[in-house]
Amino acid sequence: METFRIPQNAMTKIRQRRCIVLLALVSCFGGAERTFADSEEEPQAESFIPQPGQFPPAGTGTYLAGELVIVDPINRRGGLRLEGNGNQNRYARGPIFYFAMLPYGTIRFCGAPAELRDIPIGTLLHGYFFLPPVGEEKTIPPVPEEKAKMIAPQNHAISLEDDFSFYQRQGQAWKIESVEGAPKHTVDISSGTVTSGDVSNRGKLRVVSSGGPAKDGITGSYTFEIDGATRVWQGGKAAGLDALVSGQIVQLNLTWAPGWRDDEFCVADIWLDEESQESATELQRRRHIRYQRYHWLAGWVDSVEHRDIGGGVLSITFFGGMDPSLYSEFRDKGAKGIGVAVAETTLRTYWHNNDKKFGKMVGWKEIADPPHGSSGYQIQILMQELLNGYRPGRMVRMQCRDWGYFRLPSEERLKTIDERDEAATLGFPK
Amino acid sequence: MTSTIRILGLLAFIASTTTSAADHSASFEAEVGPFFETHCFRCHGEKRQKGKLRLDTLERDFGTEQNAAMWDEIMLRINSGEMPPEDEPRPTADEIATTVDWISTRLEEGRASRMAKRGPVAHYRLSREEYGHTIYDLLGVHYDAKEPGALNEDPRWHGYERIGSQLSLAPSHVERYLRAAEKVLGQAFSDRDLRTRTGRSGPEAPSRSVVWPGRGGGHMNAPAPGLYRIRIGLSALPSFAGRMPRISLWSGRQKRSVVGRDVIAPEDHPTVVEIETFLAEGGYSVRNEAPGKLDAGHTIRETVGRITKLEDLNGVRPTGYKLLDDDGKPIFPLLIFDYLEWKGPILSEEDRRKREGLMPPEEAGIAEARRSLLRLATRAWRRPVKDEEIDRYVKIVESELAAGEKWRESNLAAMAAVLSSKNFYYLTEGSAAERRADLSDSEFASRLSYFLWSSMPDEALVKSASHGELRDPGVLRVHLERMFADPKIKRFTSSFPYQWLQLYKLGMFPPDPELYPDYDKWLEESMRLESTGFFHEVFARNDSIREFLKSDWSMINSRLAMHYGMPEVREAGFRRMSLRPEDHRGGLLSQASILSLSSDGTRHRPVHRGVWVWEAIYGKSPPPPPPNVEPLEPTPAEEPKASIRQQIAAHTTHETCASCHRKIDPLGLAFDNYDAIGRWRSEEVVTGGQGDNPPVDASGALSDGRTFAGPEELKALLVDDLDRFAEAFVEQLATYALRRVMTIDDRKDLEAIVAASKDGGYRLQDILVNLATSRLFTRR
Repeated sequence: METFRIPQNAMTKIRQRRCIVLLALVSCFGGAERTFADSEEEPQAESFIPQPGQFPPAGTGTYLAGELVIVDPINRRGGLRLEGNGNQNRYARGPIFYFAMLPYGTIRFCGAPAELRDIPIGTLLHGYFFLPPVGEEKTIPPVPEEKAKMIAPQNHAISLEDDFSFYQRQGQAWKIESVEGAPKHTVDISSGTVTSGDVSNRGKLRVVSSGGPAKDGITGSYTFEIDGATRVWQGGKAAGLDALVSGQIVQLNLTWAPGWRDDEFCVADIWLDEESQESATELQRRRHIRYQRYHWLAGWVDSVEHRDIGGGVLSITFFGGMDPSLYSEFRDKGAKGIGVAVAETTLRTYWHNNDKKFGKMVGWKEIADPPHGSSGYQIQILMQELLNGYRPGRMVRMQCRDWGYFRLPSEERLKTIDERDEAATLGFPK
Repeated sequence: MTSTIRILGLLAFIASTTTSAADHSASFEAEVGPFFETHCFRCHGEKRQKGKLRLDTLERDFGTEQNAAMWDEIMLRINSGEMPPEDEPRPTADEIATTVDWISTRLEEGRASRMAKRGPVAHYRLSREEYGHTIYDLLGVHYDAKEPGALNEDPRWHGYERIGSQLSLAPSHVERYLRAAEKVLGQAFSDRDLRTRTGRSGPEAPSRSVVWPGRGGGHMNAPAPGLYRIRIGLSALPSFAGRMPRISLWSGRQKRSVVGRDVIAPEDHPTVVEIETFLAEGGYSVRNEAPGKLDAGHTIRETVGRITKLEDLNGVRPTGYKLLDDDGKPIFPLLIFDYLEWKGPILSEEDRRKREGLMPPEEAGIAEARRSLLRLATRAWRRPVKDEEIDRYVKIVESELAAGEKWRESNLAAMAAVLSSKNFYYLTEGSAAERRADLSDSEFASRLSYFLWSSMPDEALVKSASHGELRDPGVLRVHLERMFADPKIKRFTSSFPYQWLQLYKLGMFPPDPELYPDYDKWLEESMRLESTGFFHEVFARNDSIREFLKSDWSMINSRLAMHYGMPEVREAGFRRMSLRPEDHRGGLLSQASILSLSSDGTRHRPVHRGVWVWEAIYGKSPPPPPPNVEPLEPTPAEEPKASIRQQIAAHTTHETCASCHRKIDPLGLAFDNYDAIGRWRSEEVVTGGQGDNPPVDASGALSDGRTFAGPEELKALLVDDLDRFAEAFVEQLATYALRRVMTIDDRKDLEAIVAASKDGGYRLQDILVNLATSRLFTRR
């Protein structure tokens, strides 16, 4: 029986998997300054257990990568087929690695903030994981002991990223060295129609990393499969495989290939130029903003200052990883009113537009170097009424007053306590 | 003999008015003549009459409305700085002040004289409050005359709502009196089943109901109006900050609480609150009166209403209301309700007796109906009633019967007519047939009774009056002693200070909830009750009225203790509490009610506070402000924060303004240590502006030059002037008692009452006795 080891790289020369202490995440994560609710001790990377109201210390988290094979976007959970690592048993009989997003866990796709629902099944993802938080040990049901060895016990994600986001964030891209045996594959730009192509004829795309190097992930020379299903983006539009030219600096997203066990991948999407990359990022950014405006921005309650004449002052830290314009919107419009709905650790709300309470911003704090998971923005809101869920360490979602009044679809809302309790545990087939 | 007295009286009256007018001319020459000579007569005198106005020959008689209007206009022109014109020599501020003050005083005297002018018969309509009390004492029916749709609100004069000349009668009054009479009689002689019933509501044990602020608990349905005894079993937990729970009985029909109680009882030691009160017909529930109303329907549905233990509230859905803090303590005062038991309507033997002999049995016939109506009218009209006065009411019974109406309804119609007669809702003094200076015996009994009980005379007073003994000093003193000891005296000890201190203004401008989130209705009511309770305590102990100016105690409840920052009070109700220097309280002037009633909802107003002191403590009305006075503006954002005192100083640099403000403002600025709702502070919170909030400066000087450093020193100066306050207080009391404004004609009588009260140190009951036994009190 194989035991899962992290990292394990005996079969590949060029891969450098590291299950390490992470987190000098370049742009949005960062240094070690303690903030609103920080730990007194520096836990070890693999043994750190998230606590309510406490963001993980810098430099913690276990790196894992795998293909997204199942997703519960409503509860922010999913399953990965972890990378092959050359292990036959793990590939042939290993369990799905189920994970739950931590409430402050961030997701990025195409270089922009995202939700799980934005990521196509089959996308290779890079993530950093922690052991289950206190009280949520059963969220991901345990797997039989012999299978548990093939996956990691750290199953609560603080971040998930596709290749595009993961490497771009770390300043790494790919330079095309050659294209071999690729089928003819052209796209009529005006109609977007694929005029020829052959999926069964798999070609090779030889690349070498450029910039970076990225921590974790892969660097150096690598060969990916391409075929007639590979999407090529150039000038912000779809193009054919014939647009691939040696010397191009590209970003790409990977997916399963028959040689998965041996860390072979197929290219799902490839962006040949900056214009295409920016276009993809911008579209995803807009999609993300739309989602947040409907589902509202998440954070947790740092403290509640009760008033026995009614209401009180909530101090709430916004979770990180959102588009900066959303935070600015709260800062600029907060005095006109902010709706605060209670949420669960899945960030699901009940009937947020109906059961939220409005308050007015009475304070706004910013810290320069927030911990992983935090936005670095804390808002103080004077509420006229307090809900039972407004408690330190509990999740809330917030809207600006002008974000409109609408009800989320039934399946997204928690309508009963039974539903909440059911949703506390992963509901996928084993 | 009688005609001689009448002629002498008339001569005295003529002489007094003549003297009064002559006095004004003399004082004009002496006090303000030089001002007019120097600044006015050149353009408005013998040679020139600019604007067709001649002042040197303008009558100094302020008793006529026409002259008063002319002098009022002149005062306004001087006060506003319009006159004398800019190109003329400017009078000094003191000269302006003296002149304006002189005219203002004469105008007040003239007005008082006009208001107090009495013909052969004077009519004083009952105030709403007096109407309600009279109905209860007459028939044992509780009638809420202030209920919406009941009687019209009474117009006030300087806070008094019983001044005869103000209480006119409009057709709408008559209609409402008739409706009220029908309602009252319908209750007193109801043909419904009025047997006393009982009821109980509440959760099944061990279940208990959680009642949070603004929420109702057990329910009862009063089947008929009347007296009810209610028992409420519950636990009542204070908030984490020590705020005491308060329960009330909430009327669903009237949308208001009709009676309330403070209560405190731990979860594991429930208590029983017993309430005896009059209720109108309809549904009632037990309500948590704490501020912080939680009434969003969808959130209430998410919140647990039934528990067995407090900790069950931790299981409330996250979308329900938060009732416990993270330590498990109630955030708000919380009620855990067990049951409500009620019994009623209860007709007491005393109230049953009031109705005896008023509804004739049908078999007794019309003769008994006449006798019944005579009995009712004699008591209701508070005087002997002649048989022929009843004829018209008997005819009503007869005509109703002839029209086919039933016996009971026919008699009720006639009784309603008796209660809708002006003889009932007017107190009448004098008679058309003779011009007399003194009250009759029955009129005296009514004056005394309405003074101290705000209601009709009782049997003992009527009996003494009918025997002509009531004005005998010995008999009168016995009656006064009896009246002071009667529970009805609370009507006086609450109503008089309410009117004298103008407590009706409290809450007139509700404090801005953003600036004063801690202000709530119970605090407002507690403020009012502190002042009236304080007055009652001085009365009950027959203390000196000096206590009104300065005291080392007050009447405090839990809510006020919290407001004043005093040690926490863990028992329900008001109690006499000693004050520490650091409490910064004592006397009326530093009570939150007085400090709040002059505020405008956002900030304190020192000038209004000063005016209040002038009126209530000095008994004087300061001259009105000039027209078109610019209001104080908020401190501009770019300028340093300025206190109201600093703004007023900048505002009153104009001489015409400064002259009056010098007298008024110090009396208000002395209380700058108290904010708009009467909380002590050492710095004034200024919204807007730059820099730190300015420190409070409560120092000042009286117009006679005596200085003070703050409120306590000003109070000490006022105590030094106790005689002056006593004069003002006696005048206020007499205004209330005689239902008219005092004039210079009353001055000597008032001085005599003051003098008689001084030896005892101006004890309150002594003053009341001296007033009731005075010459003034017996005069029309």
